[in-house]
Amino acid sequence: MSAGTVAIVGAGLAGARAAETFRAEGFDGRVVLIGEEPVAPYERPALSKEFLAGTRDESSLLLRKPSFWEDRGIELVLGERVIELDAVGRVARTARGHEIRFDDLVLATGARPRRLPLALPEGVHELRTLADARALRDELVPGARLVVIGGGFVGAEVASTASALGVDVTIVEAAPAPVARLLGDRVGRLLAARWRSRGVRVLLRTGLAHLRADASGRVVSLLLTDGTELRADVVVVAVGVEPAQELMPERPARHVHPAGDITGSGHWTAAALDGARAARRILGLADPDPQPAYVWSDQFGLRLQLVGTPRPDDECDLAGDDESFAAHYLDETGGLRAVLLANRPAEVAAARLRLGESMRALAA
Amino acid sequence: MFKIVIDRSLCSGFGACAELAPEIFDVDDGGLVSLRAGTSEDPTVLDAAAACPMAAISVVEVQAA
Repeated sequence: MSAGTVAIVGAGLAGARAAETFRAEGFDGRVVLIGEEPVAPYERPALSKEFLAGTRDESSLLLRKPSFWEDRGIELVLGERVIELDAVGRVARTARGHEIRFDDLVLATGARPRRLPLALPEGVHELRTLADARALRDELVPGARLVVIGGGFVGAEVASTASALGVDVTIVEAAPAPVARLLGDRVGRLLAARWRSRGVRVLLRTGLAHLRADASGRVVSLLLTDGTELRADVVVVAVGVEPAQELMPERPARHVHPAGDITGSGHWTAAALDGARAARRILGLADPDPQPAYVWSDQFGLRLQLVGTPRPDDECDLAGDDESFAAHYLDETGGLRAVLLANRPAEVAAARLRLGESMRALAA
Repeated sequence: MFKIVIDRSLCSGFGACAELAPEIFDVDDGGLVSLRAGTSEDPTVLDAAAACPMAAISVVEVQAA
């Protein structure tokens, strides 16, 4: 395809990379990038770190300067939610009644935080969007008591940032160790010890039962499933994400191309590469070389870099201590499935090469 | 000739660029990429930019004066 209209629903990383790729590959039809948030594509990973800490402002989060989109003739339709997608008639309708006709559409609506089945009083936050981060940042004042529900990467990063701001932090995690579902028990225990050594309270094997609010509707405490009551001024719910699939056609549709977190992958590189891949497929170009999944997290003085996707029952070969360690995840045949590095940036490239080689060997 | 610019605020230390074009890109001790040279005649720099998961590398082709 060389002309016509491509619409991209979702202006996160995958959507932005799809839009860029259409132009980089010489497509000269219309490119329309539609985003629900009223802001151009930005760096979501910084929301729980530098933005929350106040060391980076909103304009520095933008993935591209505003002129980038303009120079390439990429139309940004921001602050508009697509509520209906007609995959056969090839038209997308927004909540404000705009209709966007397309030849092909990249569906990159991403993921949203998993919600608790509870009424949430004031002072209870989730963290996915810039607006979420802004609201949370305003409440993280020195001396405030913050409870983070969920000990995953986002929860740990929020806890780390808040702790550095002088906030009193407690993490509540239902599993016997945090991040264990992703990284296994041994690494989970090591990280929990690190968080505790940095002054954070870590409560394991317990969860949220009930939130108490004052007369004005503001949270004052949490009741946990083990009977503990925790006083709190601010609560962050970070119990994972789920793909935002409302617009996904029931059957695969020829001109609708899902890409990024909507497919359930959830990794940064996966979203970036998936957006580019969707654009290339629409243009009839070959897929780029597969790359191992890559995700990173900055927390409590550790830069964690994970290459590949471990499984919880993988054998975990762990070396080092809580200042610097390497964990190699091996499958049942002893093959390398993933490498987690903590404060060992110089080893990332080698890990990526080894995993890339085994991916290509499997694909061949 | 290609002019190369990296946005270090986007770099996450994946290192694919340094693998593809080691004479241009270098992973420093902090795990972020820095440029050994700001320009190159080698179109491999385009592949390096495309391989960056963060899209932190931009390459512009400029006419030699």
